[in-house]
Amino acid sequence: MRTIDIHSHFIPESMWKTVDTGSDWFDIKFQEENGVGFTLSHLGKDQVPLPKLRFTAAQRIDDMNQQGVDMQVVSVAAPLYNYHLPADEGIELAREVNDEIAEMVRLYPDKFAGLATLPVQDVDLAITELDRAVNHIGLKGAELDCIVNGSNWDEKQFFPFFEAAEDMGAVLFYHPQPNNNIAVQRNGSYSIPNSFGVLLEDSLVAATLIFGGILERYPDLKICIAHGGGPACFGVGRWDRGWTVRPEARINIPNPPSTYLKKMYYDCITMSESALRFLIDTVGIDRVVLGSDWPYVSWDPSPVSWINNLNSLSEHEKEKILCRNLESLLNL
Amino acid sequence: MRTIDMHAHLAPQCFWKATENGGNWHGITREQDARGREFAIIGTERALMIPKTSWTPEQRMMDMDSLGVDVQVVSPYSTFYNYRLDTKTAKATSEDCNDEIYQMTQTWPERFAGLATLPMQDVNAAVSELERVMTQMNFKGAMIDDKINGVTLDHPNYMPFWKAAEDMGALILFHQAGNTVVDSRIDRYHLPNTIGNLADRTITFASLVFGGVIDACPDLKICLSHGGGYTCYGIGRLDRGWTVRPEARVNISKPPSEYLNSFYYDCIVYTEPALRYLIDAVGIERVLFGTDWPFDMEFDWPVSWILSLTSLSTAEKEAILWKNMERALDL
Repeated sequence: MRTIDIHSHFIPESMWKTVDTGSDWFDIKFQEENGVGFTLSHLGKDQVPLPKLRFTAAQRIDDMNQQGVDMQVVSVAAPLYNYHLPADEGIELAREVNDEIAEMVRLYPDKFAGLATLPVQDVDLAITELDRAVNHIGLKGAELDCIVNGSNWDEKQFFPFFEAAEDMGAVLFYHPQPNNNIAVQRNGSYSIPNSFGVLLEDSLVAATLIFGGILERYPDLKICIAHGGGPACFGVGRWDRGWTVRPEARINIPNPPSTYLKKMYYDCITMSESALRFLIDTVGIDRVVLGSDWPYVSWDPSPVSWINNLNSLSEHEKEKILCRNLESLLNL
Repeated sequence: MRTIDMHAHLAPQCFWKATENGGNWHGITREQDARGREFAIIGTERALMIPKTSWTPEQRMMDMDSLGVDVQVVSPYSTFYNYRLDTKTAKATSEDCNDEIYQMTQTWPERFAGLATLPMQDVNAAVSELERVMTQMNFKGAMIDDKINGVTLDHPNYMPFWKAAEDMGALILFHQAGNTVVDSRIDRYHLPNTIGNLADRTITFASLVFGGVIDACPDLKICLSHGGGYTCYGIGRLDRGWTVRPEARVNISKPPSEYLNSFYYDCIVYTEPALRYLIDAVGIERVLFGTDWPFDMEFDWPVSWILSLTSLSTAEKEAILWKNMERALDL
């Protein structure tokens, strides 16, 4: 049984080459303070775990071997989405990133699969690039932010995108901004945006796709949400109550929200055994997949051994999470 | 077996009476729309007042009887926090509301206990009113919002409030007013309530813990409504933040999960697995019975629901329905 990790990040060599000369890469600056690296984007500052995010593919594979991860599904670090760019620059960024990921996949087809980044600020261009990524350069789908320049994913402008993704069988992996997210406006201190804002973003995108009727309208859409979908599985009882008592919660969906929660996938980054068990029991064992958040989360010793050592999971459940669910989701 | 509901709101009769025939309650007026629905007009805000919010204590007790609720710890209606109004007005509406709750607890001491509303935009005024209700009126504490005009309660300005609440043994119940953190993102599908309430409670937990308020006031009694929102489920990531980010450790020397049992939580989580998870995470002595009466997001038949749960022992049901409240609030 091979182990497959849906959630592992990447910064393209093209960015490093550009920032190493002191230039900005599509509006993004890089700086080091006291030996710690940061990107500075239009959204703000984000720490970059170094040296791992400068690893070559070969170094990356060494690290995976140490962690017992046989294959990474590679996606760009979220602070690099850059959806604020004009569409022509956005597509240029996406092609640079996606071509590099595709090259890793081409060179090491047993070790890497890839998710594209897309210029979703222009839905037509995003569809074109998703088609190129999935049908021409061998990627499996795309990684997306939970919000697009203030637009939510339930808005009509995105319907053609979901229709195209469904047709292509593309996996859409939602991953929020790690620091510059919705929690900042309330309390940006103590790293609350990273420790809680991320989870809030994950549960918000799950709810937006559900209540917005996206899963009802596009039933074959393959959606995976990072960090176990945040606390969506824990809070869904309140969503169901809202759906029961409020007409505005029912306009797009004939069934309670919890029904649709079971139609998406979630990585296992729940940070505790009890939380993972709760997620599995809520959404079903077919819907939970291995994720490591490489290299942002330091697993000790590895995400694979964490799963393997959990007493509350059966061997069958471990195999589903570590391998089988992603094999079938990604057609590997 | 007793049942004590610690999450039940009151829109005071003094508002309804003062706003009859076009009158106003400290500037707050009332109007009906074409369908006969009542709205409170507070400055530029227009708040729907559902029919049950106009009920008298006698009508309220009839509903409590039908639900099997013996005692309500009556808390204010968050629409009337009035933190955005001038202090003088908020002080006046708070005093009116608290006086009315006091009258209920005097007239029907076996049916009602009280939580006050406070003019939190002025810390001194809030402390004074808390002192009045705690020392002269036998209140059990107060209900406040997760943020006071945008500011969370870890702000140093509020430390005198926390010290005073701790000294007085006042239980502080956190409960949002209209807007939550979700409003800025999406206002559709009732999400500002169904996600926003849960998010706001979690940010309050994180703010008070990471901000060092709990360390500074270890005997503080705080209850996070709606089961503390996402707190108990998301605590693993809060711990990780504390472990890897220096800014999360500036005020505290132990991980956030160590503080879970420093708070109380109501049981409004809607599903049995979620309630079981909450109990297992925070400890059975920390979970209190609450219903969110009289709003549409309340529990249906809440006492019967708790009694029907197969994953809870009889001792656990008793702890939730009354024993924890008896102990925490000396009821």
